[in-house]
Amino acid sequence: METEKPARRRETEDRRNEGIASGVEGFNERARRAVNDQQLHDSIELFTHKSVAGRNAVLNALPEAPELRERAYRIKQETMANLDRYLEQMADAVEARGGNVFFATDGEDAVRYIGDLAREKGAKVITKSKSMATEEIELNRRLEEDYSDLGLEIVETDLGEWIAQLAGDTPSHIVGPILHMNRKRITEVLSRTAGEELPPDVEALGSFARRRLREKFVTADIGITGANFGVAETGTVATITNEGNARLVTSVPPVHVVVMGIEKLVPRFTDLSVFVRLLARSGTGQKLTVYTNFITGPRGEGELDGAEEFHLILMDNGRSKLLGTEFEEALYCIRCGACLNVCPVYRQTGGHAYGSTYSGPIGAVITPLLKGQGEAKDLPHASSLCGACWEACPVGIPLHDLLLKLRNQQVEEGLAGKAQEIAFKGFESTMKRPVLYRISSRAGRLAQKPLKKDRPLPGPLGAWTGSRDLPPLAEKSFRELWKEGI
Amino acid sequence: MSDRAEFLGSIRHRTQAGRYRPTNAPDVAWTRKGEPRESEPIDDPPARFIEELEALGGHGRCVGSLDEARECVLELAREREAKLLVRWDVEELDELGVDGPLGEAGVEVAVWRDLADFREVAEKAEIGLSTAEWAIAETGSLVLEHGPGKGRTVTLLPPTYVAVVPVERILRTVPEAIEKYAGGVLPANVCFHTGPSRSGDIEMSLFIGMHGPGDVHVVLVG
Ligand code: SF4
Repeated sequence: METEKPARRRETEDRRNEGIASGVEGFNERARRAVNDQQLHDSIELFTHKSVAGRNAVLNALPEAPELRERAYRIKQETMANLDRYLEQMADAVEARGGNVFFATDGEDAVRYIGDLAREKGAKVITKSKSMATEEIELNRRLEEDYSDLGLEIVETDLGEWIAQLAGDTPSHIVGPILHMNRKRITEVLSRTAGEELPPDVEALGSFARRRLREKFVTADIGITGANFGVAETGTVATITNEGNARLVTSVPPVHVVVMGIEKLVPRFTDLSVFVRLLARSGTGQKLTVYTNFITGPRGEGELDGAEEFHLILMDNGRSKLLGTEFEEALYCIRCGACLNVCPVYRQTGGHAYGSTYSGPIGAVITPLLKGQGEAKDLPHASSLCGACWEACPVGIPLHDLLLKLRNQQVEEGLAGKAQEIAFKGFESTMKRPVLYRISSRAGRLAQKPLKKDRPLPGPLGAWTGSRDLPPLAEKSFRELWKEGI
Repeated sequence: MSDRAEFLGSIRHRTQAGRYRPTNAPDVAWTRKGEPRESEPIDDPPARFIEELEALGGHGRCVGSLDEARECVLELAREREAKLLVRWDVEELDELGVDGPLGEAGVEVAVWRDLADFREVAEKAEIGLSTAEWAIAETGSLVLEHGPGKGRTVTLLPPTYVAVVPVERILRTVPEAIEKYAGGVLPANVCFHTGPSRSGDIEMSLFIGMHGPGDVHVVLVG
C-alpha cells in the first residue's frame, strides 16, 4: 500500500457535468509562472528536443510517410462520417466474442459502470494502464470519492503516471506524463513511497518501481485500460505501450475494462497498419512500440491467463457534438504528442499551464470544444498559429485552422475578452508573417518559398516533405516577447 | 445510463444532419517533392531481424538446427542460473526437446497446461520460453498469438524471455504481418512484441526491463 493517497483534487469547481477535467481559466497566469521556471524549461527542452529529433529521424526513413498520413486522415474521415454504423459493428463484434459493451454518454456514466462492477466483484485492487480518457473524466478521484465504501486501491502502472499519482500531480504531456519532473523530484517521491532513501539513478528508481508495481499487477482484481484504437470489424482493442503495463493489466486480473473514446475507432483491422506505424514514429520515434497489443474479447476456452471478463465502455463525453461540424477533424487525433513537441508555446510553458487534461495545440483545440468555449476562452489564444503542429500531425489535423475558427467563434459569440487581446497582442503581431504565410499556404498551397532560408528548425516538416524549408518560428525571441506581451 | 439505440441514434443524427465536409486533407502532392523513394530493401530477412532486435537491446541468433537451438536455450538457462523455466505447450517446443536436458541440468520445466495458479508459476520462473506465429524483419518484432497452451504471461512475467522461431516464419514488414489478420477472426490476444520492455519516463533515460522482460532472446532456426 502506498503511503500517500493521491491528492488529485484541483482548485475548485464542480465537474460533475463535465466536458473534461480542468480548471482551464487562467492560462496566462500559469504560463507566466511556467515561462519563468528555468528548471521546468530545461526539462521541457530535453524532452521535446529529443522527441522531435527521434521522430524526424525515423519518419525520414519511411518513404511512404506522406501517403500514410493522407490515408490516416481519409480513414478517420470515413470513420466519423459513419460513426454510428462502426460503433454498432464494434459493439456487435465484442458481444459476439463474449464481451460486454456499455455506451457512456459522459464520465458520470463510465464511473458508475466501473464502480458498480467493482462492487459486484468485491474488488480491492485496480490496476490501470495510462489512459487519457480516464484522466479526462478523473476516474480515480471519482471512484475513490463516490465509492469510498469499497476502499478501492487504484494504481496507475505506467511509470510516469504512477509517479505523478504518488506525487498528487497530473500528467503534463500525452506521451511523457512527468517530463516536468526532474530526477531529484522523482527520487524524493519514490523514496517517500519506499520509506527509505533511494539513490537518484534511473536503475535504482526503475527497479524499485518494477518490484512495487509487480505486486499490484499480480494481485489486482480489475484491470482498466484505455484504447489506442478500436477496430469495428473485429471488435479488437489495441493497447500500445513500451513498458508492458497495458499488457500486464489485461493479462493478469480476471476482469478487464476498457474506457475508449468513441473517436478511437477504425473500420478494419488492416487500417492499423497505417496507424501503428505512424503512432510509434510520431510519438516516441520508434518503428513499432514494444508492446503493440491487440485484445479481442475475454480469454478463450482453455486459456489459463487473460481476463475472463471483458467490458468495453464506449464513451462520448462531448465528442459527438463535433461530428459533422467544422471542428470534426479534432476527433481524428491519435494522441501521439507530436504537436506538443513542436509547439513554440508548449515548449515555453509546458503542459500544466493549459490547465487541462489535454495540453499543447490539440489540447487548446479540444478542451474548449469538449468543455465549452465559455470555460476555456484562453486556450485558443495559446498558439502562435505558426502551423508547426499541423505539419507534425501524423493525421494531418489542421490544428492552427481549428484554433483560428475557435477564435472567430469567440468573437461571434461575444466571448472574446480584453484579457486575450492584451496577452497576445505583442506576440501575435510578431508572428504576423508566419501567420500569414501559413494561412495562405494552406489556401493556395504551392507557395513554396520559405521566409528565411537560414533557419532550419528542428524540422517537423522535414519528415513529411524531405525538401521544403520551414518558415521561421521566431522561437528564440519568443520568450522575451512573451514576457513583454503579458 | 445510456440506452444503446438512443446513443447511436443521436450519433447518426449528427453525422447526417447539416454535414460539414472537411476539405483540408493533407495534400501528398504538396508534402513530397520529386520521385517517391524506395523503402530500404530487406535482402536478408533473418539478418535484418537480428540487427533490428539487437539495436533495441535484445539478442538474436540464427542457428542451423533444432539441436543448436536447444543448446542456446540450455546455455541461457545456465547463464541465468535458472531454477524454473515456463514454456508454451506447443508442438514446436515439444520437438525442441529442452525439457529433459533442462531437468538434468537442475532446471524445473513448467509446461503451460493444467496449472492450478498460473500467476505463481509465471511469477516464479526466471525464464519464459515460447515460439512465435511470425517474426518481422523490418522491426525485430515477434507476432505472438495467444490461446490454449500459449500463455500471455509466459512472455511477460519472467525477467528473461526467449523465443525459438522457425526462420521461414519471418515476414518482411509490419503491414505484411497485419495483413495476415485481414478480415478474419482474431485470437483473443495477439501481440506484436518488439524488444525488451522499457521506459523513458525518468528524464528520458532509458530503463530496460520496466514491467516485462528486459532480457529478450530470439533464436531463429533455419
Ligand atoms: S493532434 Fe495530431 S500531432 Fe497532436 S497529438 Fe493528435 S495526432 Fe498527434
